[in-house]
Amino acid sequence: MKQLLNGIKVIDFSWIGAGSYTTKLLADLGADVIKIETANRMDTLRVTRPFKDKVSGVNRSGYFADRNSSKRSMTVNVKHPDGLRLVQQLISQAHLVTNNFTPGVMEKLGLGYEALKAIKPDVISVSMSMQGASGPDRDDLGYGLTIGAVTGIQHLTGLPDREPAGTGTNFPDHIPNPTHAAFAIIAALRHQRRTGQGQAIDIAQTEPTMAMIGPSIMNYFVNGVVDNRRGNTNPHMAPHGVYPCRGDDRWITIAVQTDAQWQSLRATLDLPDRESWRTMAGRLEDVAGLDAAVAAATASHDSTQLMHVLQEVGVAAGAVHDARDIVAHDPQLAARGHWVQLDHPEMGPSMYNSAPFRFSDAQSAPSSPAPLLGQHTRAICKELLGLSDLDIDRLAEQGALT
Amino acid sequence: MQSPAYTEPSAAQQQRALEGIVVLDLAGQLGNYCGKLFADMGADVILVEPLTGAPTRLLQPHVQGCDGIESSLVYQYQNVNKRSIALDLDSARGQELLKLLVRQADVLIESERPGVMSDRGLGYGQLRDIRPSLVMTSITPFGQQGPYAQWQGTDLTAMGLGGMLYLGGYTDTAPMVACGEQAIGAANLFAAVATIAAVFEAELSRAGQHVDVAMQECVVMGMENAVQFYDLEGTIRKRTAGEQRLAGTGVFRCKDGYVYLMAGGIGGNRFWKVTSQWLVDEKVDGATTLQEPQWNDQDYLASKEAKDIFNTIFQPFALSLTKAELQEKGRTRRIPIAPICDTSDFADSAQRKHRGYFVSVDGPQGAQITMPGAPYQLSETPWSLRQPAPRLGQHTDEILSALGIARDELRNLKEQGVVR
Repeated sequence: MKQLLNGIKVIDFSWIGAGSYTTKLLADLGADVIKIETANRMDTLRVTRPFKDKVSGVNRSGYFADRNSSKRSMTVNVKHPDGLRLVQQLISQAHLVTNNFTPGVMEKLGLGYEALKAIKPDVISVSMSMQGASGPDRDDLGYGLTIGAVTGIQHLTGLPDREPAGTGTNFPDHIPNPTHAAFAIIAALRHQRRTGQGQAIDIAQTEPTMAMIGPSIMNYFVNGVVDNRRGNTNPHMAPHGVYPCRGDDRWITIAVQTDAQWQSLRATLDLPDRESWRTMAGRLEDVAGLDAAVAAATASHDSTQLMHVLQEVGVAAGAVHDARDIVAHDPQLAARGHWVQLDHPEMGPSMYNSAPFRFSDAQSAPSSPAPLLGQHTRAICKELLGLSDLDIDRLAEQGALT
Repeated sequence: MQSPAYTEPSAAQQQRALEGIVVLDLAGQLGNYCGKLFADMGADVILVEPLTGAPTRLLQPHVQGCDGIESSLVYQYQNVNKRSIALDLDSARGQELLKLLVRQADVLIESERPGVMSDRGLGYGQLRDIRPSLVMTSITPFGQQGPYAQWQGTDLTAMGLGGMLYLGGYTDTAPMVACGEQAIGAANLFAAVATIAAVFEAELSRAGQHVDVAMQECVVMGMENAVQFYDLEGTIRKRTAGEQRLAGTGVFRCKDGYVYLMAGGIGGNRFWKVTSQWLVDEKVDGATTLQEPQWNDQDYLASKEAKDIFNTIFQPFALSLTKAELQEKGRTRRIPIAPICDTSDFADSAQRKHRGYFVSVDGPQGAQITMPGAPYQLSETPWSLRQPAPRLGQHTDEILSALGIARDELRNLKEQGVVR
């Protein structure tokens, strides 16, 4: 099946979270993404748990693997003059060069945007730091969780009378930043193809993240209202919550959007038919009472069975799935072919996410597992740089390819 | 509250990356932000609204004191730079008009329940026949096919069934859903990536695609390493709020709020040494303990003992300082420690001002609407804010005229309730 970004060449300096995830999206769509690595300073995800069989090793991290599917890996020491020259030759053939270092690092390597332009005038250069390429906070160090903290995501999630809970993950790295970045990149690729013009794309990872809570930010600017966290309640729906089910730490979500759905829920769970609960406005005024009644009724049910019963009568209800449930017990994700087994050269058959969209006439699943460190160094040297085995051995001996 | 700095981009001179692309956004909540991403980069995005208006027009919050269909901040945010036509897609004439629009469109974004578009004669197969290069993107809770395809699904349903919900919240309460309807956001975002990739290819091949995006599946992408922990180690990751994730990583109370510290366990524990040295230099009671070798063992960092010891040492110190003071000290030593901000904390941020991030338009009833602006800065084809969100049907006449609909017919269509 065809791949939509076939023919696009990416020289990828990104690592760890959001950067690697961005180029994974491009690679899974068919771009030839060459991950430039060095054993001297490894992508920290390569040495981060979980490891295959709990045995650590630079080619054994599942976290790294899933973020680097469909890419090729080349080890090259860009601080070595010959290494830098090789990378420059690769860039001269590339559409796109990506990094998510703090500002200044690429410049120090001699690979800032001006230098890239000198090598390849129509190149697109993408930088994704925490706070952007310039400004008073440009040197800030950022991870998904600290980006969540400074952008309001952490503050706004959880119970109002408890500490801010946040998503419990480095959420900005997984969804807001890579998707925004990939969109901007493909837009710039279109412009490059139409006009022959490249450009620099500068992303401050705080900014796509803030874009995802736009209305809360506007509520402050426009109305002077500082939103606070509100548990699992919703301003438009009641009941709207996460209710206990039978078993250890099992839960069901229920979101009632209409009065008719309330009547269906009420009848199914045998809840009291209070006059004041018959309208959404009435229910929204008594969220605590309502939640207590629903929770008391759900507690004896199996979450999956109750989900089916409620969906049968048209109520938005869903079991709260943990990692095992989504992998092993979700027929919908299975029907969509979300989980892809790829045979990794060291880890063996292992689980990868497919991109979460399907095309009628193109591939969306990853085409190969994550690369071993430097797995494609020799192949790339031959195929793209025209080097002989002898040249490659010499460069390796001199330390340019580590 | 100070109004933020905003420099008006010289819109007229700008090149636009998505110039010439026509997008029909059928105004569902699962596609509104997707359409915005196209509009903000220069595509001509036509918001095709039902006669009663886009559902997002009813969402909270509104401009205070206004509750009409023009005052929702959600609607105002997600629909800038678009044009609006109000069109009844359940009428035969409305369906014909949509097909006329499709003949000139590159993208159609819809989020009806699977089957509804086909029943209207507007399914992908039907539209492809009249416009082979069309990219039709269908965004739904669970996707076009499969056992859940016809189920009801809100943001909360998808967060639960997609697994992210289970990772959020306190150890002693129900899981807590992320603020701001992030499942809906994720569906919009992944749809935008898939759609622009399909357009990029269709502009060469002249062959479009049907793109099927499922909100539940998009949520799964937010599982971090939890799936791999299950696949490779057989362990099920749980939520941790109220406690440290690992010793030295988590939320800590300070003098005027909370901070998030990431000292433990990051990248082979690379910040432990500098963090413990910081606390020793600050003469924090017991800090020298943190320099003992066991603190470099991930399993130890995960233990209750380690978390309790770290908390006993660090918490009193954190309480003696403000968010800003702790952030500044962290900056000096390159330690990831960040203030947990509410929306008032960053509204006046010098960094956001430097980047011109917050932008304003004139909103309903004279209100100035300030909102997040460019999520990315492109040197040659910048993001731009050109016009506020449209009033319901604001561009109906001009859009239909451009299709060759005469004035008399337009009047008839309005009288018959086909357009507004």
